[in-house]
Amino acid sequence: MMSILSVTGLRKEYKNMTAVRGVDFSLPEGKCIALIGPNGAGKTTILRILAGLLKQTDGAVTFSGKETNADIRKFIGYLPQYPVFPSWMTAREFLLFSGEIAGLTKEEAARRAEDLAEQVGITNALDKRISDFSGGMKQRLGIAQAIIHSPQLLLLDEPVSSLDPIGRRDVLTLLERLKKEMTILFSTHILNDAEEVCDELLLLHDGEINEAGSMEALREKYQTSVIEVEFQENRQRYLEKLKQLPGITACTLERQIIKIPVADIAQARKEIFQAAAEENWPIIGFNLNRASLEDLFMKAVKK
Amino acid sequence: MRQWQTLVKKELLGNFRDRKWIWVPIVLILLAVMDPVSNYYLPQILDAVGGLPDGAIYEMPQVTGIDAITMSISQLSSLGILIFVLISMGTIAGERKSGIAELILVKPVSYTAYIMSKWTALLALVLVSYIVSMLFAWYYIGMLYEFIPIGDFLLLLFFYGLWFILVVTLSIFYNTVFRSPGLVAFSTIATIIVLSVVTSMFGQKLNYSPSNLSNHALHYLQTGDISGALIGSAVTTISICALLLVWSIYIFQTKEHAS
Ligand SMILES: Nc1ncnc2c1ncn2[C@@H]1O[C@H](COP(=O)(O)OP(=O)(O)OP(=O)(O)O)[C@@H](O)[C@H]1O
Ligand SMILES: [Mg+2]
Repeated sequence: MMSILSVTGLRKEYKNMTAVRGVDFSLPEGKCIALIGPNGAGKTTILRILAGLLKQTDGAVTFSGKETNADIRKFIGYLPQYPVFPSWMTAREFLLFSGEIAGLTKEEAARRAEDLAEQVGITNALDKRISDFSGGMKQRLGIAQAIIHSPQLLLLDEPVSSLDPIGRRDVLTLLERLKKEMTILFSTHILNDAEEVCDELLLLHDGEINEAGSMEALREKYQTSVIEVEFQENRQRYLEKLKQLPGITACTLERQIIKIPVADIAQARKEIFQAAAEENWPIIGFNLNRASLEDLFMKAVKK
Repeated sequence: MRQWQTLVKKELLGNFRDRKWIWVPIVLILLAVMDPVSNYYLPQILDAVGGLPDGAIYEMPQVTGIDAITMSISQLSSLGILIFVLISMGTIAGERKSGIAELILVKPVSYTAYIMSKWTALLALVLVSYIVSMLFAWYYIGMLYEFIPIGDFLLLLFFYGLWFILVVTLSIFYNTVFRSPGLVAFSTIATIIVLSVVTSMFGQKLNYSPSNLSNHALHYLQTGDISGALIGSAVTTISICALLLVWSIYIFQTKEHAS
């Protein structure tokens, strides 16, 4: 797969701490990649380095074959975590301005401004002062200005964290659409957001990438499922019996339900059903729970 | 060039929207005409508040047009400069501190265009305010005292204007060095004061110092000949401005632009 950007040995030291400790990754072209990590993991730092706003202490960022020190800003769109606009401008003025400094002609910029306002849903507010915008509208305007020059790579720092459920829905839908036109790297600490639109994950913790890969591959890797069995009576006794079965290492009784984490679902199921049939266990519920991505996240972070 | 234009347009619009284009010229006009006018009406003012005590003899010194314009200039040199520093202290530093610069500089904007646009827009405001206020002063002085020949006045306007260009350039320079507008203002004023003090201490050796511009220009008004020192000061000032601009751009390029 062609990668649009590759990063090797990236390090960033602030005055008194190291925020990014030598990370390597590459962004496959045309994909949507999520940079996931808890607060303080270094997400913003990495995105700012990629956008050219911070200088790395060490390491290289290469943009699909271009020189390491070429001006790659033309190919990049960026939305900061907390964007601050010249609030005395109207949204239209700001979009025109952004387009023109990014190299569009006046006419192109004007056309893009209309078009993007429509896409992000601020057409009605286009001629309002930005100082009168709500947080959600600002976030939409922020996305519009980031893509006004049709960049090849779009960097979004927590684009949905500050939005209400409707705004979040809108932005995720928008990303889904943009994915067809550009590579997207966005940071978030909310797994659901990543899960919804992303093809690839970069799991960042404490300035290091703990895990990277496609969504499916990661799910597979961390797959552990939990079998939940509910008995009509004598739960304690059956708990002991279950523990004796081959292939089952641990099980717990939580709120009347016995939970059995297993690696090999098929094997465990066979054992349980066999025993249940032979001894006529009073089973009233049988459930298979696949581990959520959230558990995966916790696991990878704790590693 | 197109980028520079776009950026200048944004700056001008910003200064217009927050009324700088209105209040800065007005305050400057007040500063420039206040002293010549109040000096003219001093006898009446004294009368109105009860006159002088008996026995005191007050003789009005003969005030020439040049004396009067000197008063205007001394106001502009102190309070005027303070205002110019105030309006320029955050032009880049504030934008970086707030995070607006992040949105601009992540676009493929040349740092030279960015700095030069700030300089140009600021200079436009400062010079227009300065010229308008001096024209007002010239007119009132002409009505109340005597008219300064227009050619002489324009020469004064030009050479003394260089001093304000230096002030703006200094402020732009410190704007690229510091991220705090307060620190920018402090450093700019401190530099101007140090320059003036050093110049007056070593007056002879530093005859070409920028802070001698107003002295030399006023001297020209009195004597009518353009001295080598006036040209010298002008050349020094322009050179320092050019140097500061190049240096500012260099410093800015080496800085990180995230807030
Ligand atoms: N300018 C700075 N000076 C010093 N330390 C900094 C600076 N910026 C960030 N840091 C530190 O670097 C670490 C990573 O910060 P960063 O903002 O990249 O995290 P993040 O993953 O974006 O967090 P969040 O989810 O809260 O936005 C943090 O510990 C932070 O305190
Ligand atoms: Mg962050």
